[in-house]
Amino acid sequence: MSGLSDGAAARLTLSRDNLLPRIALAVALSLACAAALIALSGHNPLTAFAAMAAGALGSAHQLGVALNKTTPYLLAGSGVALCFRAGIINIGAEGQIAIGGLGAAATALLWPVEAALPAILLALAGGALAGAAWAALATAIHLFRQVHEVLVTLLLNFVAILLVQQALAGSLGEFGAGFLQSPLMPHPVWLPRAIPGLDAHPGFIVGAVLAAGLSWLLWRTRFGFSLRVAGASRPAAAYAGFSVGRITWGVMLLAGALAGLAGGIEVLGVQRRLIEGFSLGFGFKAVTVALLGALEPLAVIPAALFVGLLEAGSLSMQRQVGVPSSLVAVIEGLTMLFVLAATVRRRAG
Amino acid sequence: MDFLAAAIRIATPLLLAALGGILSERAGVFAVGLEGMMLAGAFSAAIATWASENFGAGIAAAMAGGALVGVMVAVVTVRFRADNMVTGLAANILVAGLTSFLLRAAGQGGRPPAIHLVPLAPWPIPLLSDIPLLGKLLFVHPPLTYLAIVGCVALTLLLGRTQLGLTLRATGENPEAVFASGGNPKRVRVLAVIACGAVAGLGGAVLSLQQVGTFTDGMTGGRGYLALASLIVGRWTPSGAAAACLVFGAADAFGLRLQTFGLPTSSYVLQMAPYVIALIVLASLGRATRLPAAIGQPLD
Repeated sequence: MSGLSDGAAARLTLSRDNLLPRIALAVALSLACAAALIALSGHNPLTAFAAMAAGALGSAHQLGVALNKTTPYLLAGSGVALCFRAGIINIGAEGQIAIGGLGAAATALLWPVEAALPAILLALAGGALAGAAWAALATAIHLFRQVHEVLVTLLLNFVAILLVQQALAGSLGEFGAGFLQSPLMPHPVWLPRAIPGLDAHPGFIVGAVLAAGLSWLLWRTRFGFSLRVAGASRPAAAYAGFSVGRITWGVMLLAGALAGLAGGIEVLGVQRRLIEGFSLGFGFKAVTVALLGALEPLAVIPAALFVGLLEAGSLSMQRQVGVPSSLVAVIEGLTMLFVLAATVRRRAG
Repeated sequence: MDFLAAAIRIATPLLLAALGGILSERAGVFAVGLEGMMLAGAFSAAIATWASENFGAGIAAAMAGGALVGVMVAVVTVRFRADNMVTGLAANILVAGLTSFLLRAAGQGGRPPAIHLVPLAPWPIPLLSDIPLLGKLLFVHPPLTYLAIVGCVALTLLLGRTQLGLTLRATGENPEAVFASGGNPKRVRVLAVIACGAVAGLGGAVLSLQQVGTFTDGMTGGRGYLALASLIVGRWTPSGAAAACLVFGAADAFGLRLQTFGLPTSSYVLQMAPYVIALIVLASLGRATRLPAAIGQPLD
């Protein structure tokens, strides 16, 4: 799962072992299983996949939808990848995204700013900060009380989602809406359609730039080196004088901020209000995407695109061919299992 | 009394799943896949009962469905040495998609079939159920509720009083010792995870056969994770998990009460209770939590 840098050559490859062939095999296997399921349900797999591709790539509008769907997976997934590299199994993105959405929505509603750019930046900062704060809570419990990080992050996910519901049932909710949602965000914070010709907000570009930045951080900085060492072997990291606690704080806060940003962008760019369950499953799919990207932030970009395109295309597949769109979750789950099985861990430490 | 009956009703599926989870975690494999195992059980139970009009077949199918998820998790974690938690998560995503897909494939034109089952009726236990007050509360339950109680006692005995239980616990604490004494820790883990799936599948069957009478997408709604929290709070013992499930059930029942009295806001805070309690228990015990020592560690 993790590997030490072998110098310059390693920077170009996914990790010490080039995992690309194995991951390609895992994706091919899961698509083959999906094809078998489609055939089992009495449809032609090729027709279904073609409808899916057309649904995702067929028009500028569809491609924009796909890029918007890709954004939260890309942002949260690259943060998760960084944590996994450091040997910290953070599965708290689900809650951090929800809290990030809450933070962005609360900022936008409570501190209205007239000018668009400062308003957007302020709200997104609120989201990122909220996500980082939620990750900080998990990190504090993990480090100070020696509780397994997976249990902490997993349990906090459910608290986070209920916290959002509580906020929407209380002061942040829209009175008389009939279900849990905030009022519409003020106009200045709406994310513009930024990519020429496409119906997409700038989230994908932001995510891709940040992923590139994380890749640089991972392979070119002292901090990146220390976290890779810690991921490969905790004793080695301690022997080299790296503080595992500081590394944990670093990657968790970064991942939390990225997940929070993902939640904020979803609220400002897609829903335009905070809605109960707006991010359901995003954080768990961020883990899928991180694994599919072999824990390399740059490779998380195509991995997130793969999932985003699948989801964007699945609805037209259901409409046109009659294959249920839940097939996408089957493909995601299978891909994850196959990738896990195909990228066998070396004995660490 | 109604309130306590509701707490028991809500606790039953949690308890069965938690019992399965204890099997898996005491053998050293984190049971994050409980949600998927329950969902597979709920689905298989509903489909099999609907197709065969036989509850026995439904219950067998629930165990088989859950066990199948157990096989997947076991192969990926034990054979391929993958991270337990992430594998469980993957299984949960897969089962959520697969049950939804298969439900629609079983119907016509991409729509799920209309499954209406008569929920399993309570079996009053003769004599005992005639005890005033307590009789109604404790001895008039549908069959799977009794099964959960019996299972709780049986698992306590299995873990504490049998050679098999000792081997299981040793595999979670010190697999090298099991290997040194001629055992096969890998096989113990694989079997424990499969058994976990079968038992958690029964927990799912409680939902579809005993409480709702049909299957809907994602009908477990996080109960698998709640079961996971309860076995942590119960510190990996069946009786502790049962107590935790009852407390969670009572909190949930209390929340439902509040809602009917028109205090909707507090119910979310109450729903947080299980997770917050689990976190507090973990945090307050810290290192003394007594998580099985070798949990999550892959075997060579």
